Amino acid sequence: MSETINEPVSVTLWSNHKTRKVLPYGLYWHGRRYQITTIGLHHTVWEGKRLFHIFSVSDGSTFFKLVMNSETLAWTLLEVDTAN
Amino acid sequence: MHVDINSCFATVEQQANPLLRGKPVVVAAYVKDYGCILAASREAKKLGIKTGMRVKEGKMIAPRLVVLPPDPPKYRIVNRQLLGLLQSYTAHISVESIDEMVMNLKDTPALHHQSMEDIAREIKMRIRAEIGEWITVSCGIAPNRYLAKVASGLQKPDGLVTITRENIVDTFSRMTLTDFCGIKEGNSNRLKAAGILTPLAFYRASATDLKRAFRSVTGYHWWLRLHGYEDGSMYKEFEKDTGEDQKSFGQSYVLGTARTTHDPRLWQILAQLTMKMGRRLRADGFVAYGVGISTMFTDHTHWHTQEKKSFALFTDLDFYTAMRSMLMHAPEQPVKLLAVYCYALHRDTEMQVSLFPEENRGRDITRAIDAIQDRFGDFVIYPARMVNMEQKVLDRISFGGVQGLPDVSFTEQVKREMVT
Repeated sequence: MSETINEPVSVTLWSNHKTRKVLPYGLYWHGRRYQITTIGLHHTVWEGKRLFHIFSVSDGSTFFKLVMNSETLAWTLLEVDTAN
Repeated sequence: MHVDINSCFATVEQQANPLLRGKPVVVAAYVKDYGCILAASREAKKLGIKTGMRVKEGKMIAPRLVVLPPDPPKYRIVNRQLLGLLQSYTAHISVESIDEMVMNLKDTPALHHQSMEDIAREIKMRIRAEIGEWITVSCGIAPNRYLAKVASGLQKPDGLVTITRENIVDTFSRMTLTDFCGIKEGNSNRLKAAGILTPLAFYRASATDLKRAFRSVTGYHWWLRLHGYEDGSMYKEFEKDTGEDQKSFGQSYVLGTARTTHDPRLWQILAQLTMKMGRRLRADGFVAYGVGISTMFTDHTHWHTQEKKSFALFTDLDFYTAMRSMLMHAPEQPVKLLAVYCYALHRDTEMQVSLFPEENRGRDITRAIDAIQDRFGDFVIYPARMVNMEQKVLDRISFGGVQGLPDVSFTEQVKREMVT
């Protein structure tokens, strides 16, 4: 069941200069750390001249939709979905 | 080669959210019971859920059906990624819709060391590796675009079918007339009335017989399509669209709650549609001399009118004023669908500078508002008539094309998610 969250969160990133990829691999939310195991999709949206990176990710049992504001580099957890 | 993403919207949602994989998922225009299903995942299709059904019908078949609202930016990114991938084989690609592309591989260097089938298999493998492991495509290979499209529809999901002169009779003998794209009830009845009952008979009929069956030159076009020639009537050119042939701009909206034509809440939706349309028109450097508006009422009757002006329409106020006065002539009935469009386009560089300073000021204000929205996002500034809008016009993917579609604004998306 999908739930809208819309809360700021902390995220750890993995970066590879050779493949030019930057991906989230850890999420800290409500005092808990979630190890991201699957990046389902990475897409972008523009709000005027501001670019937002949206990552649809999963830790194997929970789905998270994360957004990074490329202007402020702040992360927000938009949505959570559990397998039930 | 015709490349078709299988169950596009639903597959992309399953790609994004791995927890949805293997489950019946549909993407519907609205997630409520009467929302129309736009795409069903392969699991949903296996249960008998089809595009065009209502959500309620889908849930009757599969009570645990996952119903999602459309998320156009996701589908556009997959479309762009697929286009980028296909462009590594040829520059001659026609984007037919959000989930369909046609490649003209004639004379492509890749064919020097690979067959068409090898290229198709490589494309499928690369899509899994570079775009998403859950995304599959059906590829159809044929001498022309029409037969390639037919071939891509013969094996789903993840199909690869080639139609050649050698196997066309065998392929057609396993099909029915309505398997052909463009042959549904009406055309099928026309063919049957002319004694053409099977795809093979359709293929073997002469151009004269088909012209007689369709009672127009369309019959000749069908003959060309079925015999591997490009008829030029159904598809866009392979060459990149420069935008010079743009004929009109339009927006439409299906109302969640029907409003009568004299209801100010409908005028607010009209204002939003004209703003979206005007922004796209101006961004592409056009002005319009014609406007049109159409409505579908709750009893499924239609009303439509259009008007050509002697002056150029450029500002949002120009469009809103013209369309609202047209709407006042519509029957006062509850509107279910509202559509606006503008036509008779001219380049804005050809626009006459007005002798009246107020008109020039209005255009300058519009340009300034556009610049603010370009910088800070759509609808950060809007006319007072749109304050307290109840129904918001959502971003949608149009059928049959992906050009001229702006990226959805993030705020709009967040608001939508909060509503749903």
